[in-house]
Amino acid sequence: MIRQARAIEREERRLARWLVAPALVFILLGSFVPIAATGWEALHGHDLRLPWLGRPFVGLANFVEATGDLRFRSALLHTVTFAVITVPLELALGLALALIMHTAVHGRALIRLAALLPWAVPTVVAALVWRFMFDAQAGIISAPLLTFGAVGESFDWFVHPLAAWVPIGAADIWKTTPFVAILLLAGLQTIDPALHEAARMDGARAVRRFATITLPLLRPALIVAAAFRMLDALRLFDVAYVLTGGGPGTATEPLSLYAFIALMQHLRFGYGSALSVTVFLLTFGFALIWVRALGRPAVGDRM
Amino acid sequence: MRSVLRLFAVVALAWWSAACGERGGATRLTFSGSALGPEATVVRRQLARFAERYPGVDVELRVTPDAADQRHQLYVQWLNARAPEPDVLQLDVIWTAEFAGAGWILPLEPFGLDADDFIPAALAASRWRGTLYAVPWFVDLGLLYWRTDLLDAPPRSLSDLGDAARRVQSAGRTRFGLVWQGARYEGLVTVFVEHLSAFGGGILDAAGRVIVDEPPAVRALTFMRDAIGRDGFVPSSVLTWREEQARFVFQNGDAAFMRNWPYAWALLQDRSRSRVANRFAVAPFPAGEGGRPAAALGGAQLAVNAWSANPTLAWELVRFLTAPEQMLERARLAAQLPSRRSLYATDALAEALPIPVAQVRQMIDAAVARPVTPVYSELSEMLQVRLHRALSGQQTPAAALREAAREIRALLARSGLAAEDQTP
Amino acid sequence: MKFFGPGAVAVAAGALLALLLFPIYWMITSSVTPESRLFQSPPLLPATLSLEHYRALFDERDFLIPIRNSLIVAAATTMVVLPVSALCAYALARLRFRGRGVLLALILAVSMFPQISIVPPLYLILRELRLLDTYPGLVLPYVTFSAPLAVWLLTAFFRQLSPELEEAAMLDGASRVRVLWDVVAPLAAPGVATAAILTFLYCWNEFLFALSFTLGPDRYTVPVAVTLFRGRYQVPWGQVLAATVVATIPVALVVLFCQRRIVAGLTAGATKG
Repeated sequence: MIRQARAIEREERRLARWLVAPALVFILLGSFVPIAATGWEALHGHDLRLPWLGRPFVGLANFVEATGDLRFRSALLHTVTFAVITVPLELALGLALALIMHTAVHGRALIRLAALLPWAVPTVVAALVWRFMFDAQAGIISAPLLTFGAVGESFDWFVHPLAAWVPIGAADIWKTTPFVAILLLAGLQTIDPALHEAARMDGARAVRRFATITLPLLRPALIVAAAFRMLDALRLFDVAYVLTGGGPGTATEPLSLYAFIALMQHLRFGYGSALSVTVFLLTFGFALIWVRALGRPAVGDRM
Repeated sequence: MRSVLRLFAVVALAWWSAACGERGGATRLTFSGSALGPEATVVRRQLARFAERYPGVDVELRVTPDAADQRHQLYVQWLNARAPEPDVLQLDVIWTAEFAGAGWILPLEPFGLDADDFIPAALAASRWRGTLYAVPWFVDLGLLYWRTDLLDAPPRSLSDLGDAARRVQSAGRTRFGLVWQGARYEGLVTVFVEHLSAFGGGILDAAGRVIVDEPPAVRALTFMRDAIGRDGFVPSSVLTWREEQARFVFQNGDAAFMRNWPYAWALLQDRSRSRVANRFAVAPFPAGEGGRPAAALGGAQLAVNAWSANPTLAWELVRFLTAPEQMLERARLAAQLPSRRSLYATDALAEALPIPVAQVRQMIDAAVARPVTPVYSELSEMLQVRLHRALSGQQTPAAALREAAREIRALLARSGLAAEDQTP
Repeated sequence: MKFFGPGAVAVAAGALLALLLFPIYWMITSSVTPESRLFQSPPLLPATLSLEHYRALFDERDFLIPIRNSLIVAAATTMVVLPVSALCAYALARLRFRGRGVLLALILAVSMFPQISIVPPLYLILRELRLLDTYPGLVLPYVTFSAPLAVWLLTAFFRQLSPELEEAAMLDGASRVRVLWDVVAPLAAPGVATAAILTFLYCWNEFLFALSFTLGPDRYTVPVAVTLFRGRYQVPWGQVLAATVVATIPVALVVLFCQRRIVAGLTAGATKG
């Protein structure tokens, strides 16, 4: 019997190898090999428009150049600031939405549908619609502000370096809050209603119950949602590309967009790769810290 | 499971047919260039004639954005990706070296071209490291438009120009003396190039050394700045103007002189809109001390995509489009100047061109090219920034040019293009 | 668990619904408003209904081409991703083998990769293979980036399935491979359908790869085509909005008919796995 069990086990292992191989090949070939290649490319001087320079190994010269590059520094600042501001907003709004979905008696299906639509719409579509709504002439948002005198006649969201961030943030929050809400809703549904019942018997008010029962038990879901959103926000590209193109000037240019321009427009593949590597390091660094500090029980175990 | 397989088959079929849909049938040749207004008419007509001459060949016009920087960006994207189309490309004179250096367009020497007939400055801009990569198609020249009703003759020197401009302006006959393009864009560099030549200076010398910080260049930029400031015959608002703003001002009779391209001629002759119809002529930008009259050279060239599937046929199209008959037709319909010198001696061109040929010929002899280098667009941007700073009084001309020269030297060194004795 | 009275919940729910749906409502209304009205202070209800923008979209712009491109790429990707990830997920859920933890970590890591960080080498490789501006050139990165999510949620799905049926079949002497085909495959259909929906949505919405690896209208996918509509001086808003509506229709249909499945898939992918 034992021998037979061992044989089965061996067979299973062999089978597992075959089952896993195709996915592993795709994942290695499609992402790990390229990411290594990007890292290697970042250590070279490589300008596709200047082929006579060849592709010399330059060590960390591209990264050194980046530290002195004002456009890179502001792009880095934009990316981090954007993530730090929008993600908490999305979490707060997402939590509110999740609570409503959880508590609502009527129209649950409708609310769920309304929440899923923005999530499913292509990001560029979301960006274009918000671009239209913020338009200086046709915009439904500028018109009432104008009537109340909150903005001047010639005010244009996309000409002002700080105001141009508002449509970007609005589009991003609109698009991603529902995703947060769905994750948190799943978390809410795992909380045993009996806990709340018991607390109410003890005379705890809603706010107190929320703070002592809901929030602590929702912690794992919140941590996971925050991690997903941060990782997405740190690689912000679509919304900025479509809404402002990084403008006015480079006032709304995130790191991914600057890397894209260095690669696909300036054709500086060495330098552009170095910028892409920074985006990678930024997200990866965040993920490591996050998992180390908070996420291990939530993400680690269940994986 | 079976339905999945069926779906798979459908998709595979769609894929295959989509991939094959473009091949088969006639040989296709694609051409890309400006297709706006009269230029579009000429191009379409000539491409159709070419297709008639080569049965079995489909020639397709690929419309590209008309704004130069947008078209440049699109070409860079296509050619860098090694796309085999478009086969034949219309390039701005300042792009040829860049595309040749990057290996995106074919050297044309193997095809054999009788190059002697082409305007030398235009031909020089089609070469990179001694090899011909493009054929000049039409030329554009920076012209000095002057008012025949206010002045008896075009200025013979730069100081003449200044005096005349001031005189007319202070007599109250025009609001401004001279207008040109001073916004921070490529046009400012062409204006600067004409002033440079007038003072005997340049941006790069024949050996590729940076000479834009030498005394003649400083004198040229100082003249431009003083024309705006101390002497006051150029309005300071030119610092935001491009071609069209200058044209509107001259067309309204508000300036004695204007620096602009040939396209303005026909518009200025339009009586319904222009107040100066039949009251102006053109001349080269006059020489100052130690220089020569100058007309900045612009225009377009034709090149063959290095990845073209039909390079020989593409070359035939280039040869066809740059033949004298096609150039004459273009001159007649779009008022663009031929790049072949011999045409300027013919009556046919005199009839075709709205601008008097005698005046044009003078200018062609004065044509000055901008630097021929693969990093021209970066070089130009550095120059634009510094010129603009000097003209708006934020820097002295000498300091601005010193900075520009330093940046350009670094750019050339970084790109492996520095003249040997200037490698830092 | 009740925090608020039913009235407060209703009001809040109504407000949120309005906020979530308004941009979509506005997109649809504006897309049927004639261009001349579009730039006046717009009324909330459409006064006139004009399909002019839609006509222009398909007649003048040939918007069917990007739709066809997107559908082909999405379908091809889904067809590669589903079998590959289903097999992998089954192994992860049911079989014991060495390196299982490492594999899970790798899959988790890929889902965190910023797309831009693999663009440079992929571009160079695709250029060398002459695969830029082709369907396979897009399918390859799409498979890589959508496989992790599929593996994840399918693993969760297989774990939920009771192993009894499989065990019974194996006691009857069937091999694992046979069990996989005869017993597991039919049961897996709902999970595979969810994975297919999410993969389709990913492909339909993806932008950066499509922007980097296509060169012209012949191969643009829907998001790229919509984005590059802009004219030189002015955005043809009417047509852009009509195009966004068209780009949203398939997504909206999927959401409408599969919302439960999507929610289940999302939460499985995110919190369980």
